[in-house]
Amino acid sequence: MSNLWIISNTVETAYEMLAKARELVSDSGGSVTAFLNGSEYQAQEAISYGADLVKLMRMPEKTAWEEYVPVLVQEAQGQKPDIILVGATRRGKDLAAQLAAHLDCPCVTECKTIQYDGSKAILKRMVYGGLAEKTIECNEFPLIATVTGRTFSKWEVKETARQGTVSTLALPNVVKMQVVERRPKPKETVNLKDAPFVVGVGRGFSEASDVKLAEELAQAMGGEVACSRPIAEDLHWLPEDRYIGISGQVIKPDVYLAAGISGQVQHVYGIRDAKTIVAVNKNENAPIFQVADYYIVGDLKEVLPALTKAAQEVKGS
Amino acid sequence: MKKIVACYKWVVDEADIRVEGKARSLNFDRIKYKISEYDRNAIEVGASFNEKQGCQFLAVTCGANVEASLKDVLSRGPESIAYVNDGALEETDSSVTSKVLAGIIKKIGEVDLVICGEGSSDGYSQQVGPRLAALLGYASVTFVNKLELTEDGIRAERKLEDGVEVVELTGPAVVTVLPDINKPRIPSLKQILAAKKKTSEKLELAAIGLDSLALKQKTLDVSGTVMERKNIQINSGGMTIEEAAQKLVQQLKADGSLA
Ligand SMILES: Cc1cc2nc3c(=O)[nH]c(=O)nc-3n(C[C@H](O)[C@H](O)[C@H](O)COP(=O)(O)OP(=O)(O)OC[C@H]3O[C@@H](n4cnc5c(N)ncnc54)[C@H](O)[C@@H]3O)c2cc1C
Repeated sequence: MSNLWIISNTVETAYEMLAKARELVSDSGGSVTAFLNGSEYQAQEAISYGADLVKLMRMPEKTAWEEYVPVLVQEAQGQKPDIILVGATRRGKDLAAQLAAHLDCPCVTECKTIQYDGSKAILKRMVYGGLAEKTIECNEFPLIATVTGRTFSKWEVKETARQGTVSTLALPNVVKMQVVERRPKPKETVNLKDAPFVVGVGRGFSEASDVKLAEELAQAMGGEVACSRPIAEDLHWLPEDRYIGISGQVIKPDVYLAAGISGQVQHVYGIRDAKTIVAVNKNENAPIFQVADYYIVGDLKEVLPALTKAAQEVKGS
Repeated sequence: MKKIVACYKWVVDEADIRVEGKARSLNFDRIKYKISEYDRNAIEVGASFNEKQGCQFLAVTCGANVEASLKDVLSRGPESIAYVNDGALEETDSSVTSKVLAGIIKKIGEVDLVICGEGSSDGYSQQVGPRLAALLGYASVTFVNKLELTEDGIRAERKLEDGVEVVELTGPAVVTVLPDINKPRIPSLKQILAAKKKTSEKLELAAIGLDSLALKQKTLDVSGTVMERKNIQINSGGMTIEEAAQKLVQQLKADGSLA
């Protein structure tokens, strides 16, 4: 009989992981415990989404959430969970790795899939900046795996008869960090995730003022402008929440049009699931062409205005 | 005077990996190695505390083949390096790596601050920093893009999904840093020459109390991610840019990709 845990500081990811956890214990008749940063109400929701037991780990005001680690270590030594799924936020990944070191157990970061037959687990994750996928076998338990949001789907819950118990965990008496300030992130300037058409600006743009060529095309297509990391982080031509890639946004638009972007794996990571990829680059050997459906070899200063014009004609007709 | 250690990983340059054939196997024949990008930021943090505030600053690494990295890392600011180079580390995971690094750091002794990159540019498991903190009994302060030394600790700004968390602590810590914390230097000729005079200390696994290194996970397969794309050049055969633009827009419309 297996015993699964999920730990998350965001409730949505918790609900998604609960569905997976239930699937993993399904045949064994085991139990699922959710460690959740949430309210009583969300604890009840977690029960309807699949938890048997909920232990609230509320966000402390004066210290970091990750300071719950020693408490979790104690709980784990008592309950002996087989698999612990942790929501792969930055806090979650920190907590998961500390917990793994204390329990001297394996931890797989941002797994895409996980299978478990009661004695071994097989997981997949991306490596080399998204160039390759690694398949990992673990025979040692507990096993910790972190999971990003939207990797799994939560149950569709209507009226639920599921019952469970809720309790609240206390922080350890001694903590290491003092939080002196929390500054919430300003509201996102753009929602790239919902844009059907995204134009990506790369270092092939020679001046900041040329970014308007991409903006005009995006506007004609009813889309948004995004960029590669150097455009945001080095040149600051566009805000940071607009860069695409492994360290930035991951998007799935109908069309992604990469202009003046070479197509390094770290960037391509963020557009892997775009329905159609279009590339404009003046170098006929640019790697971006290998991941594109359609491409035009040429100077973006000529190609983008021509595309804007063609788009306006089609939309106007 | 504070003692600071930066950890780094000597990784394959992923830009040199070729994906081949139907099986999408990875070809490493033309591979070059580099100091993992994120770790260059970690090294730069240490170098700047050394130059501006007179802290003692060492680099630490481990692997099966890390001696080729020593000159490179020493030209980036550390006063010396301590490392383990052992064939047993040909294949590692975050668990093994953090145990070896913790062993080296304990051997160095009285380290106030350990700085790591937020992840490595090959595996990007983002575990070694927090694992090290747990093994050393230090505070774990991750995803930092501003870091100050205080009298008996640090003050750091963590960049998290929903905003910034500013933390203070006294006592030793492991900090993982984000790429936007600084701009790593490109070593000057003078720094490269000076690196030759710096000391490096090779440690054996036994000397740091580790004789068995069991991997926690077994790699069954690593293969190139599949991305089926059409790869159609729109402007082949002397077509003008205007014609190509129209053809592309028509194509997207025909595909049903235009809203
Ligand atoms: C650990 C790590 C994480 C990273 N994470 C990310 C990430 O999340 N997102 C990201 O984007 N990058 C990331 N990077 C950086 C990434 O490796 C590349 O350096 C970056 O994506 C390159 O940006 P670029 O394509 O805009 O620039 P370049 O690589 O410089 O490419 C510019 C392209 O423009 C073309 N060009 C030049 N002039 C013109 C013209 N007039 N018309 C048309 N084409 C032209 C050139 O042929 C070239 O292909 C990361 C790197 C590392 C090491």
